[in-house]
Amino acid sequence: MNKLSTLTVFAILAMMLSAAIAPLGAADDERYSITKSKDALGFLKPVPVNVSGFTGEADSVLKNDLLFMGVQHVPIDQAQYMITGSASGRVEGRLTDKPTKGILLNKAYNGGSTRQQIHAFADDIARALTGLPGIAQTKMTFKAEKGVGRSEIYIADFDGFGSQAVTSDNTIVARPEWRGRDMLVYTSYKLGSPRIFSHHLSSGARNPIAQHPGGNYSAAVSPDGSKVAMILSKGGSPDLYVANIDGSGLKQLTKTRESESAPCWSPDGRMICYGSRERGASLLFTLPASGGSPRVLSTTGAPTPTEPDWSPDGKWVAFTSQTRTFQICIVPANGGTGGDAIVLTEGEDPSWAPNSRALLFCRGLDHAKQLSLLDVPTKQVKTLGRILESNSQPSWAK
Amino acid sequence: MKLAKSVYLLTVVLTLSSALVGCKKGLNRTTSIPGQREGAIADGGPSQPRDLGQGGVIPPLNRGNETGVTPVNTGPGFDTTKDGGGIAAAHDDKFTGWIENRDEFANQTVHFDFDKSNIKPGEVGKLETVARKMKESFKGKALRIEGHCDERGTEEYNRALGDRRAVSIREKLVQLGLDPEMLPTITFGEEKPADPGHDDAAWKKNRRGELILLSPPGSN
Repeated sequence: MNKLSTLTVFAILAMMLSAAIAPLGAADDERYSITKSKDALGFLKPVPVNVSGFTGEADSVLKNDLLFMGVQHVPIDQAQYMITGSASGRVEGRLTDKPTKGILLNKAYNGGSTRQQIHAFADDIARALTGLPGIAQTKMTFKAEKGVGRSEIYIADFDGFGSQAVTSDNTIVARPEWRGRDMLVYTSYKLGSPRIFSHHLSSGARNPIAQHPGGNYSAAVSPDGSKVAMILSKGGSPDLYVANIDGSGLKQLTKTRESESAPCWSPDGRMICYGSRERGASLLFTLPASGGSPRVLSTTGAPTPTEPDWSPDGKWVAFTSQTRTFQICIVPANGGTGGDAIVLTEGEDPSWAPNSRALLFCRGLDHAKQLSLLDVPTKQVKTLGRILESNSQPSWAK
Repeated sequence: MKLAKSVYLLTVVLTLSSALVGCKKGLNRTTSIPGQREGAIADGGPSQPRDLGQGGVIPPLNRGNETGVTPVNTGPGFDTTKDGGGIAAAHDDKFTGWIENRDEFANQTVHFDFDKSNIKPGEVGKLETVARKMKESFKGKALRIEGHCDERGTEEYNRALGDRRAVSIREKLVQLGLDPEMLPTITFGEEKPADPGHDDAAWKKNRRGELILLSPPGSN
């Protein structure tokens, strides 16, 4: 009897285990291999999903998150995958392959707010379906103007939610950039001329990076956080320089009579792309971060390119083109398209998301600008809520 | 003993099965959201400036040195006098506390063509007047040159263009005999338009270089 019961117990146990684990283990099951089709430019075509079971804010946040990660909510008959779940109490959600009903993802989330749990779920879905890094839990920083000549640095979630002022200096600030997750680097006029500072978010400590005679501005932090590229006019003209992140080891990279502007780094940290008026109207150039000869980055069809931003996957340089209006454009970083730029939408100063798919940018008249999100392959745009009078110069934490 | 073993096994089975029933409901794993300070980020809408440090107020910007940061090092053999043939910039720290007079040369504001930083021939006369007055009437005083742009052009592009415009005015004034060390420059890019309009007339006024007379503290 005892032996029998022991056996029965083990048999039941084994059955329950196998029954319970099989579907749950399906997330890693090769049976549900995900078809990833790409568009002409090599971007992943949006994966059609149907989202159900969520309501109100949870529903809209989830759909918005997914949109900028290449996963698009569509009517059920057009969907390839089903996303079901609920956000009552805590967020619970499931991702199912529609034809086979195989479960790819099945999770619950605790801690944080419902919004944060939804963001975590969205990231899990995007990673499962696209293989790209999730961006729903990322942050951005931007400049918010409260009046002419008075602006502050802000940080917020990537979708503009939960914005917080980082500075309260009542002066002009400009071009904030992230160094890791806990430090910003930006320009401030607090001490008179524009100078570059680092700002440690958790301690509040601020230190100068560049405060040379003349102008110090447009700092760009290298991907590994060890260096900064910037524009200094100490030598009598705005030129491109690099230095260590504490400002030491300064090195001049350009020596032109006309102005250089707004550098950015390639994701491997080897190259710098920047704008220069060396040949009259602005052109984009690239040069080795260790110094060397600049080469023109052709942007055919997109005149007067400025403010480049190199995508984290290294493939694209996004920039602003100006004719009568500003246009957000991209061009392959290493040739391709024969140097023809692709015009995406009206706006200026793009900043790539970590997934090399979405861009943050701003749009609008001077001193009344608004931030927007752009899904590059589909050109879908979502305008974000405005803080104070004018928002510009977004920079996505990578 | 055997009974005890059965009870033990039964307990194990019950515990496991209840856990598995939980799983069957649909959860294989619960993911904790790490490290978010609730309330700090969770509330939406425009926020008031708040402290991101430990202290209560955002610490003031410091000028370095006392912070333990390595003083900026221009590196061995770095000759600032040869940068692109320009005249090394003057540091505005030298003029902290000097008294500003924006009226003296208000009529000598230099205007620029769209997307250009060269001094137009028609504007040179203004700078000749400024240079003469500085030499005749304002010995020991300084001149701050502010470079501005219209709104066409991205912000950092305009910051560099405004800088280049200020430098062009400075170069001309040095050529006319003024001391470069008494000519600090500052760029405002498109931050401070003279005219808030969004048309050609406003843009024309906004592409400019303003000249501000600086007098040492205690002088008149």
